[in-house]
Amino acid sequence: MTLFIRFGIFATLLTLPLMSQEESADTAAVSVNEQIEQLKLNDESVNEILLDMKSYIDLARKLKFSGYMQTQFQASDGIGGAPYPIGNFAGGNFPANVGSRFQVRRGRLKVQYENDLTFSQYVVQFDITQNGLGIKDAYINIKDPWVRAWNMRMGVFDRPFGFEVAYSSNFRETPERSRMSQTLFPGERELGAMIEFAPEVGDWTNYNLKLGVFNGVLPTANENDNSKDIIGRVGFILPFEEENIAFDGGVSIYQGSVRSNSKFIYSFNDAQSQFTVDSTVTNAGKQYDRQYIGIDAQLIYDMPSLGGASLRCEYNFGTQPGTSSSNSFYNPSTIQTLDIAGNKTKSTIETTNLYQRHFYGLYISMLQNIGTKHQVVLRYDVLDPNSEIDGSEIGAAGKLTTLGDLKFSTIGAGYIYHLDDNVKFVFYYEKVENETVNGTVAATSSLSQYTKDVNDNVFTFRMQYRFPW
Amino acid sequence: MKKIVATVLLFTFSSSMFAADVITVKGSDTMVILAQRWAEMYMKMNPNVTIQVTGGGSGTGISALINGTTDICNASRPMKPTEKQKLKHRFSSLGVEIKTAKDGIAIYVNEKNPLKELTVQQIKDIYTGKITNWKEVGGIDSRIILYSRENNSGTYVYFKENVLDDEDYSPSCQNMPGTAALVNAISKDPNGVGYGGAAYAKGIREVAIKADANSPALLPIAENVKSGQYPITRFLFMYVKSKPSGAMKEYIDWILSEEGQNIVTKVGYFPLR
Repeated sequence: MTLFIRFGIFATLLTLPLMSQEESADTAAVSVNEQIEQLKLNDESVNEILLDMKSYIDLARKLKFSGYMQTQFQASDGIGGAPYPIGNFAGGNFPANVGSRFQVRRGRLKVQYENDLTFSQYVVQFDITQNGLGIKDAYINIKDPWVRAWNMRMGVFDRPFGFEVAYSSNFRETPERSRMSQTLFPGERELGAMIEFAPEVGDWTNYNLKLGVFNGVLPTANENDNSKDIIGRVGFILPFEEENIAFDGGVSIYQGSVRSNSKFIYSFNDAQSQFTVDSTVTNAGKQYDRQYIGIDAQLIYDMPSLGGASLRCEYNFGTQPGTSSSNSFYNPSTIQTLDIAGNKTKSTIETTNLYQRHFYGLYISMLQNIGTKHQVVLRYDVLDPNSEIDGSEIGAAGKLTTLGDLKFSTIGAGYIYHLDDNVKFVFYYEKVENETVNGTVAATSSLSQYTKDVNDNVFTFRMQYRFPW
Repeated sequence: MKKIVATVLLFTFSSSMFAADVITVKGSDTMVILAQRWAEMYMKMNPNVTIQVTGGGSGTGISALINGTTDICNASRPMKPTEKQKLKHRFSSLGVEIKTAKDGIAIYVNEKNPLKELTVQQIKDIYTGKITNWKEVGGIDSRIILYSRENNSGTYVYFKENVLDDEDYSPSCQNMPGTAALVNAISKDPNGVGYGGAAYAKGIREVAIKADANSPALLPIAENVKSGQYPITRFLFMYVKSKPSGAMKEYIDWILSEEGQNIVTKVGYFPLR
């Protein structure tokens, strides 16, 4: 019995640790299961958080902000306020008594929302400078969902003419566009609608077409007549990828008109080499041609061990309705009330008489990249607003010529340093040369300053900062 | 004035010279492992050359090339005309395209999924949302969970243009930041399906693909991809701004050499020849 009891106690002592191990194993298993369940719960809650965040990320992907700022210092060899303008095509006239200045030339902020599912795009671009806030772009773009080659756009956006007008200031190597582009297309943009054919795949990727209908006034000005202007460009791209050469180009047209506020219409009589005036009463309120044809070409090639280079040129010609003092297009900004004879108040009539001029303009620019950080640029541009008269005849008695007939040419040279993908510095000097007018011009005439080349050359030092584009 | 010009020129050429031995490579996530292996091997043989490799996706790499922040862009899709236009504007260059390897885009499913094959049309219908249940393509009666890449991925763009015929992905697609994340998600999801480079197909199963209902079902293996018989075969590209020279040319020449192409095979892609 004693032996049995002893065996029992021994067996109990032996099994005690085993029982304890089993209990411990059960407890551990329960604990692991609990932890797994807890992890699953955690995983689900993390997934919920991620799904919630995903909606914000999706929104952030559709909403894009980009922009750039250009601040600059400019100096001229002339002083603003002289009887002739300085810097009017280099960022705006120098004010009176000013020969150098700082400017915030452009302060762009672009907001873009793209819906991939409906192929639609909302774009608005602001320009913030020392002069205040302005709107540059405001348009809706819809891409066709079938062949993805056609776009329809409506709002305020670049006029589809030539190369330079639509070439962003963000990329442009010279501080400003040529005198020709600034004169023909002030502000570059316009209110209207456009269709674009620009396929991304297929046999037509090397061709593109833009055709639009526009108000034909200044970028954000209200329409002032019932006539619309048609602007279009047919473009091509000829890549020779083996040689790393490309030849791009296009032909553009501008078919438009302006409404005259005045009955006095000046047109140039080539035979007599002078302006003649038509003052028929019914001229006031009539439409007058604004028609341009343009050809542009860009040659892009690779200079081994140096970098890419490009040669760009553009030649435009046509008929421009201007005023006596300006060869930019005639723009009756407000509809005037005419008296019974078709006259407005005398002072207004003098400034808004319409001058029809045949013009030509061109630019040639040469750009060389040196590595990835350095660029040098040279540009020559000409605008002859009245190609039917020579400078020596301008200002002569009886010709009725004005400041708006003067031809200007500009030679510019610059160096650009890209500090990084955000910052670049531009050093640019432009030598502006005017046509010299007839020496007999009256001393009281605004043309009298132009018997010689005036001091209006400008040096620009610009800093640009841009963020994702 | 002469001093200024001389200083500028000296700075120009000296900075270009210093930049030559550091090569930055950015772009395709599909290619990032391959690019790292190339760089490691090349730097071992050429200690004076430093090659920095980062991913981010083909779109990100192309943007970096346009911005001038990378010397070489890896891309698993060709550059788009709009991207070439931007490069032209910034650098007056068309860019140089270099084919470096071939890849077959694999269709991944979970190991538990019994499905063996799909036609290209079925893949398109699945990813555009027309087919939503595995039983419609001969699988089990279960909802299909779609995994895709994000839209900055070259694989995403290539798949959309070449498999979906440029139709849109189903809105139910879950976009993953990289192929590794996509593979990981499918390995945990018995109903998941995804796509990506053949070299990434670890821990999941690849489905054989038929060009059409009457074609043979093929897996993305070397023989099928190199011969071009595998229906979803593409090139893996490198892009540079202009004709490469100096250290960059030597590096690219080496990638295209037998030694460089052997690494392509080791990583799981397919050499050009």
